[in-house]
Amino acid sequence: MKLFRKSLLLAALASVALVVGCSSMKEPATKALADAEATLATVRDDAAKYVPNDLQGVDASMADLKAKLQAGDYKSVMAAVPELTTKLTALKDAAAAKRAEMEAAVEKAKGEWTTLAADLPGMVGALESRVSALSASRKLPKGMDAAKLDSAKAGLAEAKSAWEAASAAFTSGNVTDAVAKAQEAKAKGGEAMAALGMTAAK
Amino acid sequence: MPEDNKYTQYYEVKKGDSLSKIAEQYYGDPMLYPRIFEANKDILKDPNKIKPGQKLRIP
Repeated sequence: MKLFRKSLLLAALASVALVVGCSSMKEPATKALADAEATLATVRDDAAKYVPNDLQGVDASMADLKAKLQAGDYKSVMAAVPELTTKLTALKDAAAAKRAEMEAAVEKAKGEWTTLAADLPGMVGALESRVSALSASRKLPKGMDAAKLDSAKAGLAEAKSAWEAASAAFTSGNVTDAVAKAQEAKAKGGEAMAALGMTAAK
Repeated sequence: MPEDNKYTQYYEVKKGDSLSKIAEQYYGDPMLYPRIFEANKDILKDPNKIKPGQKLRIP
């Protein structure tokens, strides 16, 4: 009987020690999670824009740890904090890398746009005046027939339409779309020039 | 007159050329020579006077 009472006492003491131990982890666990949330808040906007899938993963981990904190499982929270910190650092680095990559792509596109914007109006103007002259002609020159002229007219119309779309995209701030449309315009214009036997200076 | 650019088309005048002959070569119609004259008014004063070696714009 004595032994039984002693065992009960020991068990009770162990429980108390566990509760006291766990309670002592509440504050650091709460703080660690709050710190992690604060760090996440500083990278959230960039992460949402450049690496949304990675952000989703970190959000899920954070939600899991919050639930554990709520349930009083401070030990699990404390154990998971280093991994969460690693994930946050990786998220921050990935967002920064993607951001730098996107910014470099936009800078490159701006350079391409400058060249295309200086080029295309001249191409369209040259095509328009040649198509206008040929359309006014009573007889087409050697090497030219109605089908070639029609093809050039269609190419010119497509080039003009793509160029208008490119200019609109650039005005609305979408440089990469603007460059893609301008390249399309240049390709169509180039086909029309070839059909008319026109060449561009190097 | 539009500014010259890399898409501006040129023709170098040869002996015996006339604007109507050049118009026929490029447009198929000699009567369209005024288009070439208008595009080269900075170097041509008279459509009947062109000289070999002149570089004419062909609109």
